Amino acid sequence: MRRFRIGLTLRIVAVLVVLGIAAFPLYWMLVTALSSNADLFAERPRLLPDFSHFGVFVDGLAEGKVGGWLLNSLLIAVGTTVLSIGLGIPLGYALSRFSFRGKAVLTVVLLFTQMLPEALMVVPLFSLFRRFNLLDSLAGLILANVAFVLPIVALILKGAIDGLPRELEEAARVDGARPLAVLTRVNVPLIAPSIAATAVISFFHAWNEYVFAVTFIFTPEKQPASVGIANFIGELGTPIQTVMAVAFMFTLPAVAFYLFAQKYVVAGMTAGAVKG
Amino acid sequence: MKKRRVRRSMMAATTTIIGVASILLAGCTADSGGDDGGVAKISFAASTFGDPGRGPLLNQWLEEFNKSQSKVQVSAAAVPYPTFGQTVLTQMGSGQGPDLIRFDMPEFEAASDAGLIAPLDDLVDVSKYTLLKQPDQFVVHDGVRHGVIFEASNYAMFYNADLIPKPPTTYEQFVETAKSLTKGDVFGLAFRQTEAEEAGVWQDIFNYVYGFGGKWSDGKTLTINSPDNLKGLQAYKDLYDAKVIPKGADAATFRRMFAEGKVGMELNNGGYVTATRGQNAKLNFNVAPIPFPVRTQGAILAPVVINEASEEKEAAATFIRWTLEPANQVKLQEILGASSVATVTQRSAESLKKTPFLPVFDGLTESSLPQIVLGFEAKTPDIRKVVVQNVVAALQGQVDLKTALDRAQQQATELVG
Amino acid sequence: MTVLEQTKVPRSAGRRRRSPLGSRWTPYLFLAPAALFIVVFQAIPLAQEIFLSFTRTTLLNPTRSRWVGLDNFVRIFGDEDFHRTLVTTIVYVVVCVVGAVGSGLVVALLLNKGFRGRGVARALITVPWAAPGIAVALIATWMLNAQYGIVNRFLNAVGLGVPGGSILDSPKYALPAVLATTIWQLFPFTSVVLLSALQSVPHDLTEAATMDGAGRWATFRVVTWQVIKPVVGLLALLMTIWSLRRFELIWLMTKGGPVGRTETLVIDLYSNAFESKELGSAAAIGMVGVVISLIVIMGSRFVARAVTKENLR
Repeated sequence: MRRFRIGLTLRIVAVLVVLGIAAFPLYWMLVTALSSNADLFAERPRLLPDFSHFGVFVDGLAEGKVGGWLLNSLLIAVGTTVLSIGLGIPLGYALSRFSFRGKAVLTVVLLFTQMLPEALMVVPLFSLFRRFNLLDSLAGLILANVAFVLPIVALILKGAIDGLPRELEEAARVDGARPLAVLTRVNVPLIAPSIAATAVISFFHAWNEYVFAVTFIFTPEKQPASVGIANFIGELGTPIQTVMAVAFMFTLPAVAFYLFAQKYVVAGMTAGAVKG
Repeated sequence: MKKRRVRRSMMAATTTIIGVASILLAGCTADSGGDDGGVAKISFAASTFGDPGRGPLLNQWLEEFNKSQSKVQVSAAAVPYPTFGQTVLTQMGSGQGPDLIRFDMPEFEAASDAGLIAPLDDLVDVSKYTLLKQPDQFVVHDGVRHGVIFEASNYAMFYNADLIPKPPTTYEQFVETAKSLTKGDVFGLAFRQTEAEEAGVWQDIFNYVYGFGGKWSDGKTLTINSPDNLKGLQAYKDLYDAKVIPKGADAATFRRMFAEGKVGMELNNGGYVTATRGQNAKLNFNVAPIPFPVRTQGAILAPVVINEASEEKEAAATFIRWTLEPANQVKLQEILGASSVATVTQRSAESLKKTPFLPVFDGLTESSLPQIVLGFEAKTPDIRKVVVQNVVAALQGQVDLKTALDRAQQQATELVG
Repeated sequence: MTVLEQTKVPRSAGRRRRSPLGSRWTPYLFLAPAALFIVVFQAIPLAQEIFLSFTRTTLLNPTRSRWVGLDNFVRIFGDEDFHRTLVTTIVYVVVCVVGAVGSGLVVALLLNKGFRGRGVARALITVPWAAPGIAVALIATWMLNAQYGIVNRFLNAVGLGVPGGSILDSPKYALPAVLATTIWQLFPFTSVVLLSALQSVPHDLTEAATMDGAGRWATFRVVTWQVIKPVVGLLALLMTIWSLRRFELIWLMTKGGPVGRTETLVIDLYSNAFESKELGSAAAIGMVGVVISLIVIMGSRFVARAVTKENLR
């Protein structure tokens, strides 16, 4: 019994330490954003946030730029999510339910594209986009992002559909439903958690994406937040408080969204893996 | 029959997806419209549009241009300094990019060498204006004018007048002052010293190399490892090793520190006067020539150029002609602070009263050089990379400075072939 | 995600026979839009990069390429700095995989036993994973700032200060710092995935093992490990892939410096393309990365197949 207690205490302490490590940088972002210059450059740092400087957030947003950045990021992220799921569901379905020539190759190709770094593709994509007049547009960025998340989305959805019993589909087919209807009416509702997971993955990918955005977008008004924030690492710097405040505002929606969607993500990401 | 239906439904699905995608895309691209009502819309990219203090004023200045015109409207594109060259050159290389660009010298040389800059001779008749000759000579290549100086800014020593009542006038005093000021959370000096700030390090070491009688080339061969260069860079490294600078602090941080009175001295260009005031209006700072053995220092030369790929070259030239008008030059100079502009201007009594040290900067124009490698102008960015990498390696104690410079000389010589 | 899993339908079975779901063309119609997308935005650009790797091409004039054959490859392989880049890449990837999977497993085991507030703890732990890489790079750089960074202040206070002050400028400590930041960002992912794998371990099995007098370690090795092994394998593969292509975090923290100590293949590729403006050598470096990736994928499939056979026996 006693041993059990000690074990439990140790476990709780360890969990608290891990939580501290996980959360501290974000907390520190907040503290920095809310510090005065004197605190920041003092010999002993301030360890608690000073909410009397909360104005830094208001100022950051009031400047107009930041709100625009966040809105652009949101548009890009939503567009990427919708398009990659729209394309990923049929692909995942084909990979799961049909056997066809080139399937094994296609699977390897999908996995392989996951290894191509954006930095490698940015130059040829740039010239491709120039030809199609997609430079300096959010649409171009969405397409580029979809190309990079589509494979993983399709693979996750394939895994999810693999886990569904075929009998359900057959029953629907006996009732005369067409293949597409089978997919949308029978399978899609059943793999909703996995779709949610892929939604989160594509949303995050696009929300965070930097390399394409920094190269393909010329007009400052079209910049997403990732580029805007990275640009803070500039020559004539913005005060670090503002930088941290904006970074915090960029991080918070992502974290909140993730916490909200967490259970789907875990379920979706692990479904295939654990079952396989 | 059934097969048909299957195929048709698949077709429908495919079309739907492509349809949705294109609607989505159309929605996103809708805002990129063409020109409306015969007004030429041109863009002007400059890193200075994002500067604290100067940026907003420059934008107002552009607005004055827009108000004065009915056929041309210019908009500012603030591309941040660290990625400026990369961003703009990528665009220009593939026939895109802003119509007007304010370049720094190394990127200007690379771009003009690659034929990305429109010759100005037929577009702007400069004989109508009294141009400052010393800076202007660098924007004309083999008789072809590639740009007009937008800003020329000499390097001098900024110092905190509260901490340093009497500025040092020799290198020994300079070191002494830096050492005696460094205590607690105050540093005597600050400069850039990390690879991440490659362009900035290049600007800073330029003053040490030339201030000790060195130079990067004699116009025909590179002289990166010459004894004078070694002397100058040794001085730079000695100050680094003496712990009188905030190591690891980037320019953004240490300039903030300077504005907060936590850094005593900094070698900087006149363009930074406005920005420093913008960060702390109450700071009591002053400026003196850099107290190194030889009175030669770097200058930021920033020409404004027209993109060869621009479809609105005439409109862009209209803007350049407007900037060269005397009244607009004076306004530009007041915005830029202690820099000079393309033409000879008179400092107003008011601005001299507000900034008594302006003549210090103006007096340095004859002895200031653009931070390029003479004779290898277009290769400056590549040479810069090699030199900075090796100098930083020496700062970090990876190799001794002599070896580092020998290595830089060898690598750079291979580069320029 | 289920790439390690074997295709259920035997290869030969479905080839000629008509699929029960419709015509022979049905699957192609389903995958056509996505495949088209991948061809246009991945395959064609990749082909272009392969071409570029055999040319000298400058970013300032990318449409004019000069064919130089294997020149770029000969040059990069003859360059000592590139050897260092390869070593750095391997070190970075291996440490990321081991660090992220290892720490993830420890945390997952910590959270595997029920206790009050476990749900909250699990949610909070995912914060680093959800934070955008750019923001992480910014806060990490600030925390590691030589003068005012909390990490340096702490290290100095306990007398472990880095000589010279700046961690990210120190050839010795920059890579460890970047690695620590990377693993900090990855461990929530690995631990959450491993946690759900752990929870799929049948209780009766572990209990039976304990009843039989097996110690904790033996129970873990004999029962738990066997169940989570495929997940660990999958995570290791994912971590490898992600680490091979990780860019923003390293670029924004160090740009590959100091003195190339944090320069991985992707960083080298990017700085060749955009700083040196040499698209040819950048593409060649990219191809080296592509070959490494191919080896990793093929290797993983080979291992997966071998493991499956082992299990069947």
